[in-house]
Amino acid sequence: MFASGHREATVGLGVILVTVAFAWLGPQIWRADPLAVNLANSLLPPSAARPFGTDDVGRDVLARVMSAGQLDLIAAAAVTAVGGLLGMSVGLLAGLRGGLTDNASMRLIDSLLAFPPLILALAISVALGAGTVSAALGITISTVPFYARLMRSEVLRVQALPFVEAAVASGCQPSRIVWRHILPHTWQVMTIQASSVVGYAVLTLAALGFVGLGVQVPTPEWGTMITAGLSYVLSGQWWIGVFPGAMLLILVIGCNLVADGLGGEAVGSVLTGSTRNLPE
Amino acid sequence: MAHTIRARLSGAIVTLFIASVAVFVILRMLPADPARLILGPLASAAALQHERAVLGLNQPLYVQYVDYVVGFVHGNWGFDYGTGAPVLKEVVTRLPASLELGFYAMLFAVIGALAGAVASVGARSRVVDSVCRAVAFVGLGSPPFWIGLMALVLFAEYLHVLPGPVGRLGVGVSAPPATTHFYTWDALIAGQWGTFANAMEHILLPALTLGLAPFGYLFRLLRHSLREVSDEDFLLVCQGKGLTRWQALMRHGVPNALLPALTALGLLVAQLVAGSVLVEAVFNWPGVGQLVVNSVLAREYGVVEAFVILSALAFIAVNLIVDSLYVVIDPRLRRPSVI
Repeated sequence: MFASGHREATVGLGVILVTVAFAWLGPQIWRADPLAVNLANSLLPPSAARPFGTDDVGRDVLARVMSAGQLDLIAAAAVTAVGGLLGMSVGLLAGLRGGLTDNASMRLIDSLLAFPPLILALAISVALGAGTVSAALGITISTVPFYARLMRSEVLRVQALPFVEAAVASGCQPSRIVWRHILPHTWQVMTIQASSVVGYAVLTLAALGFVGLGVQVPTPEWGTMITAGLSYVLSGQWWIGVFPGAMLLILVIGCNLVADGLGGEAVGSVLTGSTRNLPE
Repeated sequence: MAHTIRARLSGAIVTLFIASVAVFVILRMLPADPARLILGPLASAAALQHERAVLGLNQPLYVQYVDYVVGFVHGNWGFDYGTGAPVLKEVVTRLPASLELGFYAMLFAVIGALAGAVASVGARSRVVDSVCRAVAFVGLGSPPFWIGLMALVLFAEYLHVLPGPVGRLGVGVSAPPATTHFYTWDALIAGQWGTFANAMEHILLPALTLGLAPFGYLFRLLRHSLREVSDEDFLLVCQGKGLTRWQALMRHGVPNALLPALTALGLLVAQLVAGSVLVEAVFNWPGVGQLVVNSVLAREYGVVEAFVILSALAFIAVNLIVDSLYVVIDPRLRRPSVI
């Protein structure tokens, strides 16, 4: 079980690295301009000269999928890091302080959880106006509750363990106890959560692009590319929307494999749809 | 038991209050200037001032909040600027289409996940297990609108077995007499078999697309809990009493494995609500999700706001019901909570 879990995580990590290489090394090999419009070459099917075909205004779909990959990966990394920092800080404070701090912050977190995550991200980016940054901000805020709740329960769990008591008894500074004794024990669970947040961030950025928020034309982004491809499904030009979606699927599966392999199924992650524990 | 349910109810009310403040702050306070948004970039200062007074923006914040809550409760959700119709009416006329889609999506997800989990754990079928896990991975790993696109390419464009994205019924087929406002049910009630087949044909692809993510979620959950249950000693006891392994699993294993799935119901509803926004527009399905996409594109904030509040309401309500049901089903949770 343990060994197969590690294999799963390794495969997932490999898949993520392949998409990273595709997005950054790909353009070094395939030197087409993702923004160059050429109406004479519009809607060409995949061929040796253009492996992924061209879109409605003759832009090279392969070059656009690569360039979109850079944007999506950077946005997902930023969302995961900032959301993680915010959420973990809230969870840590709530777990350590308890009392009023705990109650107030958890009520706030619960009220964020009262919205389906995508709808919360959508509302925030509607309010801030369409654009990559406001979409990323909306998604970031919608991820804070996942980290915060998990961090709080982890801190409560670790705090009760005997070695923390031993550290207190031996006269450790509170800050040292937090940094050396409590936080390191939360990393595994937090890594699982973070890897599923990467997948969630990419999916949600694509979804906001579909609704018309998020990344604006002509900047390539997987979600908006799929949306553009929808209008050409029935006229037979499937390649415009299918390739960006396939890349997105590969990346998210990579993230979910990492989360599963590290023990996500046992720990329970809301985002990948793994098992959750019974409510307390 | 009543004590626990009361505690959950008061918790839900507090959450609802904070959530309504959150919507108020996000959608009423964050946009730089709602008057400017409504009147456009060319409006004069006097007109802006007048619009602010009409919107009540010169009132103190708590007055604005109370006005907004009272207005919402009275069904005063503003107007759709495109059609001029009240938002409430627009939402109500579109709701049955969304509910019907959600019903079938949920039906497919639950039946598929249950059958898949029982076959892969109970019957130890490696093939079913691999296929279901792969489908679950795809369902949870790709945006529903891409799945919809792939489904359309495959079934409508290449195989020609299902209709393309034309909405709830084919061209020239009229809606059955409205009783439940679900076309498939109404057609059955009226005995119009042709209309029923047509409606089913049209709802199949969008419902499968919408149900894919919930299926993935439920299948993984059921598979995991069924595996845990099947190792329990009480199943061995049942077999010792003379039941076959299969009987013991179906009679005593599956009901126990279903318990954790109940917790997930709130999450499934969230998936369906979010999914409806992403799926309906692809299939030209005339539901609330499509309305939301159109409204965001047309910068119709009234509709978006109503949708955000309604989905939070639905989410809170479902979680409250699930929490209460849990207490009813699981006797261990009936004693009053220590906290």
